[in-house]
Amino acid sequence: MRALLFERSLAKVAASRLAGSVVPGRGARFGPLRLASLSEPEPPGPDWMRVRPKLAGICGSDLATLDGHGSRYFEPLVSFPFVPGHEVVGELDDGARVVLEPVLGCQARGVHPPCPACAQGDTGDCERVAFGHLRPGLQTGYCADTGGGWSTAFVAHRSQLHPVPDSFSDRDAVMVEPTACAVHGALRVPTEGALVVVIGAGTLGLCTVAAVRRLGLPGTLVVVAKHPEQRRLATELGADLVVEPQGARRAVRLQTRSLAVDGRLTGGADVVIDCVGSARSLADALAVVRPRGQVVLLGMPEPFRTDLTPLWHREVALVGAYAYGSEPPAAGRARARTFALAFELVADAGLGRLVSATYPLERYREAVEHAASAGRQGGVKVAFDLRGQRATGERRARGAGA
Amino acid sequence: MNRLLRRAVQPGFPWTAPQWPPSLPRPLPPSSLGAGYDTEWARREPVRVARAVLMDSVARGAVKVLASPRVSGLDRIAGLEAPAIFAANHASHVDTPLLLTALPARFRHRSAVAAAADYFFDRRWKAALWAFAINAIPVERARVTRRSIGQAVGLLNEGWSLLIYPEGGRSPDGWAQAFRGGAAYLSVHTGLPVVPVHVEGTHRILPRQGRRIRPGHTRVTFGAPIRAHQGEDTRAFASRIETAVAVLADEGATDWWAARRRAAQGTTPRLTGPRAGSWRRAWELEDRSPGRRAQERPGSWAL
Amino acid sequence: MSPRPGFVLETDRATPPTLFWHGEGWRLERLPPGSRIVYPPEPMEAVADPDEAVRQALAHPLGDSEPLADLLRPGMRLTIAFDDVSLPLPPMRPPDVRQRVIEAVLELAAAAGVDDVVLMAALSLHRRMTEAELRHALGHRVYEAFAPHGLLLQHDAEDPDGLVHLGCTDAGEDVEINKRAATSDLIVYVNINLVAMDGGHKSVATGLASYRSLRHHHNVRTLQHSRSLMDEHRSELHTSNWRMGRHIAASGIKVFQIETTLNTDTFPSQFAFLQRREWEWSGRDRATYLATSASLARTPARLARSIFHSIRSPHALTSVQAGEVEAVHARTLEHVHRQHVVPVEGQTDILTMGLPYICPYNVNSIMNPVLVMCLGLGYFFNLYRGKPLVRAGGVVIMSHPTPWEFHPVHHPSYIDFFDQVLAETTDPLEIEAKFEESFATDPWYVHLYRTSYAYHGVHPFYMWYWGAHALQHLGAVIVVGGDVAAVRRMGFKPASTLRDALEMAADVVGPDPSVTHIHAPPLLLADVE
Repeated sequence: MRALLFERSLAKVAASRLAGSVVPGRGARFGPLRLASLSEPEPPGPDWMRVRPKLAGICGSDLATLDGHGSRYFEPLVSFPFVPGHEVVGELDDGARVVLEPVLGCQARGVHPPCPACAQGDTGDCERVAFGHLRPGLQTGYCADTGGGWSTAFVAHRSQLHPVPDSFSDRDAVMVEPTACAVHGALRVPTEGALVVVIGAGTLGLCTVAAVRRLGLPGTLVVVAKHPEQRRLATELGADLVVEPQGARRAVRLQTRSLAVDGRLTGGADVVIDCVGSARSLADALAVVRPRGQVVLLGMPEPFRTDLTPLWHREVALVGAYAYGSEPPAAGRARARTFALAFELVADAGLGRLVSATYPLERYREAVEHAASAGRQGGVKVAFDLRGQRATGERRARGAGA
Repeated sequence: MNRLLRRAVQPGFPWTAPQWPPSLPRPLPPSSLGAGYDTEWARREPVRVARAVLMDSVARGAVKVLASPRVSGLDRIAGLEAPAIFAANHASHVDTPLLLTALPARFRHRSAVAAAADYFFDRRWKAALWAFAINAIPVERARVTRRSIGQAVGLLNEGWSLLIYPEGGRSPDGWAQAFRGGAAYLSVHTGLPVVPVHVEGTHRILPRQGRRIRPGHTRVTFGAPIRAHQGEDTRAFASRIETAVAVLADEGATDWWAARRRAAQGTTPRLTGPRAGSWRRAWELEDRSPGRRAQERPGSWAL
Repeated sequence: MSPRPGFVLETDRATPPTLFWHGEGWRLERLPPGSRIVYPPEPMEAVADPDEAVRQALAHPLGDSEPLADLLRPGMRLTIAFDDVSLPLPPMRPPDVRQRVIEAVLELAAAAGVDDVVLMAALSLHRRMTEAELRHALGHRVYEAFAPHGLLLQHDAEDPDGLVHLGCTDAGEDVEINKRAATSDLIVYVNINLVAMDGGHKSVATGLASYRSLRHHHNVRTLQHSRSLMDEHRSELHTSNWRMGRHIAASGIKVFQIETTLNTDTFPSQFAFLQRREWEWSGRDRATYLATSASLARTPARLARSIFHSIRSPHALTSVQAGEVEAVHARTLEHVHRQHVVPVEGQTDILTMGLPYICPYNVNSIMNPVLVMCLGLGYFFNLYRGKPLVRAGGVVIMSHPTPWEFHPVHHPSYIDFFDQVLAETTDPLEIEAKFEESFATDPWYVHLYRTSYAYHGVHPFYMWYWGAHALQHLGAVIVVGGDVAAVRRMGFKPASTLRDALEMAADVVGPDPSVTHIHAPPLLLADVE
């Protein structure tokens, strides 16, 4: 099979980091990612199935990894070499379309009894991602044993797979995983009637806007978006007000009618959801959140230093939001699987339109660079299209094997 | 030899001038010094240009450094056409360069200064120096002579403005002396307005008996031009000029509104200072010292 | 030679190109043959002795009023209110006419032994004046006599303890004005009547009023029915102010109004060509035009702005009248009209105008897009009596760089207005209904208005309402040479050249449109038949 393989190589990581700091996404060209012909991964157990990806998205966390900006925190939680790709819609051998829920929790790892988090359905918080019969890997796409979505085939545990309704196009389906992240972030803290600020309007930001609007019942939803196309989409998806980053403080000040001292607001938003995860975005979040407000860190952060004095002084709660699992019951809704909510939301908000470009696996360098600069170019989600590739990929794989 | 030597040491006529017999009346020789000094050369074109250059470069710079002048009231003479008579109090030699450099250009480069004939024109070199440097014209302090008045009127009629110190000399202690009638007389005779001017702070820079110049702050206040009323005599007009300068002094020491109210009530402090002992006069003079005020700046409220 | 009246020139092929102001600069544009250009009258002769004229006016008041000297007595409370930095434009060469008048008033007050005197800048909802601006308007003497003692105040329309509600007019309008002024035995109001809109009862009823009071006439409905703002008799804005002024008088508050008119000698002699008819430009004028245009093209915008804002106008006093408000204002208007009025026959399809670097609300500041709209559609469009210069459904073409730039200290609420209100809608009625209240009562704007140098939170709304009648009347507004995004944000059409703009306008008004250019500043008032 054809796959993009990510190998551990210090020199390549350093090179990608250098390149990535010059041009975002350029890391793919120099880095440890390469197109390879591999043998298909063997199912590690009875409940495992082979999935042939149709579309596989490029996620912000993938970009950080490729550009070498990711945190070293993950090193013990992944196993090399791995095939990236965790936003996947694929096909089973019987032709059924499935969406992957990539977290490799206790059930997939054969850990019994499951950890308390998994027992409750909060698979994202699984405590065993480095244990069990699989090599470490917090998700499919970071584990050496399962393969990943940026390939023509990988294996997944039955519990990881969700059937795709016929009404869903492949583009809709590939948006389910990022949408689930957004849903989880949006529901991480209560937002009913609150002034909510979403910082960032890439895929995650826009999905969060849709999630907050439809599930969070906010009072007012303000979105901070850099690029014009992002602003248009944010408005379409239900933002009450969309502002540019430099106008964020002014806008929140006006909304909250607070005063300002030397550019710092005295009041602020009830909830700020940071969908970027940079030093700048977190500083912005802390600048616009009210005293005793909550900041949800939803975008995967890169390592940075920051001044937490405002957090301390204003008694702000900083809450992380990773992946998905189940969501607590809320107004008019019982406890629910995040993915179930995400399916509804994708259909409801038409999030399939956020997929703005697809590339074949061979053009992965272009694809990654495009993904890294998608906002500026008026795009949102970039994905690999593996539908036409399967045959050729298999043939080539076979050829290589012979 | 001895005789020759003695003659050289104790010379007599014809070695020396002959003695005029005391019994014979002696006609006065026409003096070319004092009030008789002819300053006409100092108003010829090349001299004027040289003086203007000197004034605008050296004098202006020196005044700025030494006297840090704060000039106010120029708006009151903004509409006034040259020539005019500027009447100021006088406390120091610094007054003249200070005033000349403070005058608007249309007056500055065509103005003469009335200077005491006995002080500034007693030596030929001094007369020449002052005539050149400030276009001084000799004026008798004690009495009005036809010659000095005639010269001043002539200059005014030719379009030259005149700077005059009606006190007739520098103040001994910084407070002014009573004004004499010169400025009033000239105004009445030429029909030109008198601009009252008050100068403050020069006394501390170079007092009358001073030998050293101490840099300091000064204030020059121009008043609105005034003219003699119909039928007003010189003495009354002179006293009105003095009052006008006194109001300007009050304005400088307090503020314009306070000065106007006191003027309206007739309680303007006298220009000649309090009738009191010398220490109190000196004490009160200090209160008038021209100071500096802090400037307000808008805060930054930008978001 | 007495000043020549204004007139309307019909262009032909031989007509030289016409001067269009363009922010901090100007352009020469060739209008299609057959266009009309409305030229302002030349500056009228100034009064020979302004100080004497002021004294005479105070001694011989108009209407039912005693001479000022007789109104002053010891122990009384006197408030002297004066127009703020928005007048005159550009700021005049010192001495400012306010200084002359106030000094004359104070001389009389001093002679009468009045001790309790306060000077008050009639800011309304404008920004506070800086020390330099106050010194310029009042002169150093007056400033230094009053400011250090706290006797030079600036009206604060948001001071809860500084206002007094005088009840309502017959039409139910709240009348709330400055308490110090209202509790004075006499208010002396020192006005500068640069255009016909200023003065009269508007001086006190607007200049010293609060938002609660102002909103009764500073609103969309009133301004859509002010046709024009420059014609007191057909202006709802003025009718309302007159009701309030009469109510104030009926409440026992005595106002001694002093109104002054200035001639249109607007620019210093080195820029003489700016107020000369193009075919009369001398060699020197042409050389100045070429030299200044060439150097301005190479000057950074900030520098150009500071150069232009340092211009001091040689405006001279043409009349001063004092006494009872309405009698005074009637005489003032005669003088204003004598200076400004130009008879124009019939309306036009397309009205073109070159907007200068300054309007009443950006003195020593930045002309932001909202102010460009206000100057073009609020002021220039309204420079008419009778019918608008441009027909209903016609097009206004304005020339201005319209930079997307705001003065952060002076115009904080403008930034939010532009970013959030105009991004949503440009319809004045919708803006008024949906956003005005929240901006007007925003505590931060109130704080900045009171303590910094910021226009009130509601002020950008008033700017937009000022153009409400024009927005209702016109088929389209085209801005030549403006920042495209800023122009679009305001709902206008951007054009890069006048020729393009005329083409675009023809799409709206039909082929072979009639074109009229309003050649201002210097200001004029078109009397349209």
